[in-house]
Amino acid sequence: MHAVEIQNVTKTFGDFTAVDDLSLTVPEGSVYGFIGPNGSGKTTTMRMIVNIFYPDRGSIRVLGGALAGTRSEHLAYLPEERGLYRKMKVRELLEFYGELRGGRNVTAEINAWLKKFDLARCADQKLETLSKGMSQKVQFIAAVVPEPRLLILDEPFSGLDPVSADQLRESILDLRRRGATIILSTHDMHVAEHMCDSIFMIFRGKKVLDGTLESIQSRYGADTIRVGVNGNAASLQALPGVEGIRDLGQVQELRMAAGCDPQQILQALVARTRVLSFAVTRPSLHEIFIRIAGPAAEEAAHA
Amino acid sequence: MRRVLLVARRDYLAVVRTKAFIIGLVAFPILFGGGSLGVALMQNRTAPKSRTVAILDHTRVAAPEVIAAAQQRLPDNQDAPPGLQATPHLEFEAITPDDANPDQQRLDLSDRVRRGDLVAFVEIGSETLHPNANAKVSAGYYSNTPGADGNSRVVGDAVSNGVRRARLKELGVGEDRFSDVLRPVPLQNMSLIARDPQTGAIHTPSKRGAAESFVIPFVLVLLLAMIVMICASPMLSTVAEDKLQRVFELLLGATTPFELIAGKVVAAIGVSLTTSVFYISGGLLLLQGLALFGLAPLSLLPWFLLYLVAEVTMLCAMGAALGAACGSPQDAQQLVMFLLFPVVVPLFVLQPIMQQPNGPFATAMSLFPLFTPIVMMLRQSLPGGVPAWQPWAGLTGVLIVTPLFTWAAARIFRVAILMQGQRPTLPELLKMAVRG
Repeated sequence: MHAVEIQNVTKTFGDFTAVDDLSLTVPEGSVYGFIGPNGSGKTTTMRMIVNIFYPDRGSIRVLGGALAGTRSEHLAYLPEERGLYRKMKVRELLEFYGELRGGRNVTAEINAWLKKFDLARCADQKLETLSKGMSQKVQFIAAVVPEPRLLILDEPFSGLDPVSADQLRESILDLRRRGATIILSTHDMHVAEHMCDSIFMIFRGKKVLDGTLESIQSRYGADTIRVGVNGNAASLQALPGVEGIRDLGQVQELRMAAGCDPQQILQALVARTRVLSFAVTRPSLHEIFIRIAGPAAEEAAHA
Repeated sequence: MRRVLLVARRDYLAVVRTKAFIIGLVAFPILFGGGSLGVALMQNRTAPKSRTVAILDHTRVAAPEVIAAAQQRLPDNQDAPPGLQATPHLEFEAITPDDANPDQQRLDLSDRVRRGDLVAFVEIGSETLHPNANAKVSAGYYSNTPGADGNSRVVGDAVSNGVRRARLKELGVGEDRFSDVLRPVPLQNMSLIARDPQTGAIHTPSKRGAAESFVIPFVLVLLLAMIVMICASPMLSTVAEDKLQRVFELLLGATTPFELIAGKVVAAIGVSLTTSVFYISGGLLLLQGLALFGLAPLSLLPWFLLYLVAEVTMLCAMGAALGAACGSPQDAQQLVMFLLFPVVVPLFVLQPIMQQPNGPFATAMSLFPLFTPIVMMLRQSLPGGVPAWQPWAGLTGVLIVTPLFTWAAARIFRVAILMQGQRPTLPELLKMAVRG
């Protein structure tokens, strides 16, 4: 069964079309990554799945049922814009959200989650006394107790330190292992590449990518050379057969022109500088993102 | 319904557990009662033991009678509860008129008033004793605060009675009959006579004092308006504040907007009922302590609670919608007056309604659903009451309008609550209410 089925959905705000004729299927038990530039329609799509916004056209089915203006206890949502009742104590707040979603006492689950996130000692503190990172972890717990079948996370890692981010990542993957479907939006392509079974990219309200990382990358082919050279990237300028250079510091990514032979590029490079590493590869998700939504794409769109 | 009650419980506890609520609940009657007590004490304290009023008597016979009338004068407020009104204790000094230089004499007396030797002086004209048939007779009362002097009524009574005494003396009436002749006949307010619809018996008319005629209705309506304002105005600011702190989106993942707004309204109703129980119980205990329990309008309490719930529901739903539409804390402050319009407008027209509680204006106001709770409550509590069908008609209007307002408010709330940094215009709000 599909966790989410979106059929030809359009959502407008006044004259602005936030989501344009979108169709998408999220398989149950998968981690689905939503990527796209700011304002491209990710959050609007998520809000429509959660039934906060209603689509102008099209239909959305969640966990096999049509949305009917209600909330499902099996669906959990962590919004990007986060705020909690600051005067409430942590445990009180989590019990409130847990009962709101699950309709039952969730004390045992709350205790387990607090322990997992090293927040047990803060259980009786007011939210206003917690740091931002701790508040974010509390919000995540508020979203996932009781355990949902579909978890929608809008930018869950933003603002978290690496330790907290790891704890959150572990928890998300653990929920997936227990059968939950996860939809998460992120601007961190590394997260999308490593955590997500499938990736969906939306740009100006339209779907531009949808599939596994493998299938997305295969559409672009092995047109990228990852190279390390002595000195700086200046020696890579104006190489024949190279359409673009992305300087990552210690490594540079070269984008080959169609039909170009990597051996010719290697020969040209060796003639210029000492080559430390040279690998022909497929473009990273970051690179694909830039190709679709970067300045060059913007210019092309306006040309 | 479960989610509505959960939201309501959280919001209710968030209000009633605060020190501000508990202190406010206790402080209001203390401030109100303490204020009244303070005014009474200050009045008694500022009244000197003896103050002199000079009588410049051009009739040359009235002054001794004025002094005698003042000494025999019964306290005119003897029916009023003690401490509510201070009776000034005055002394009188007869002044022989200086016919050669009357202006200089008035100036001298005025200077004595300015120096504080006199509280005032009264000038009784020579024509006062035997005025022409069509002449308007009056005596001049000169004081530092003409028109705002609490002694003028007492002095006026003494002058009137004194002049009457002088006239009676001229007619040869003995002094022993003065008290009978001059005894005033006060009017006693009575309720209208009605037939009991069940037994058919004619009710005995009952006496109506100032408390029943004015104080009880006034207090009842003020209490209703105060509780509504206490509960409704924070709704707007709280929703606006929570919106700006971005509390709602996480909640909207777990509840529908209608459940959320309904929970908030139920919480506000809970707070209003808690406040009412506190004040009504306190009021009844006070009346019992003063042996005035019979004045308690017990038959109106169910109506009071019905109107309270309806008004709080209507205004809190609107408050939540307006709060959701706020783009900044300043917006919330500006919109509070708009929200309290259905409470404030009836308070402005209390006087004409109390003067003619069954007139067309009062009836129309009380049947307009936004004003029904306050105006109908006032009319029902006034002596004479209202025709039996009117409260039910008013309530029907309220019961139709309240869910409509709540429904429209929920639609505005749903759309506006996630809008950040912008305040929708009135047409946009109406569009949100219609289209959702």
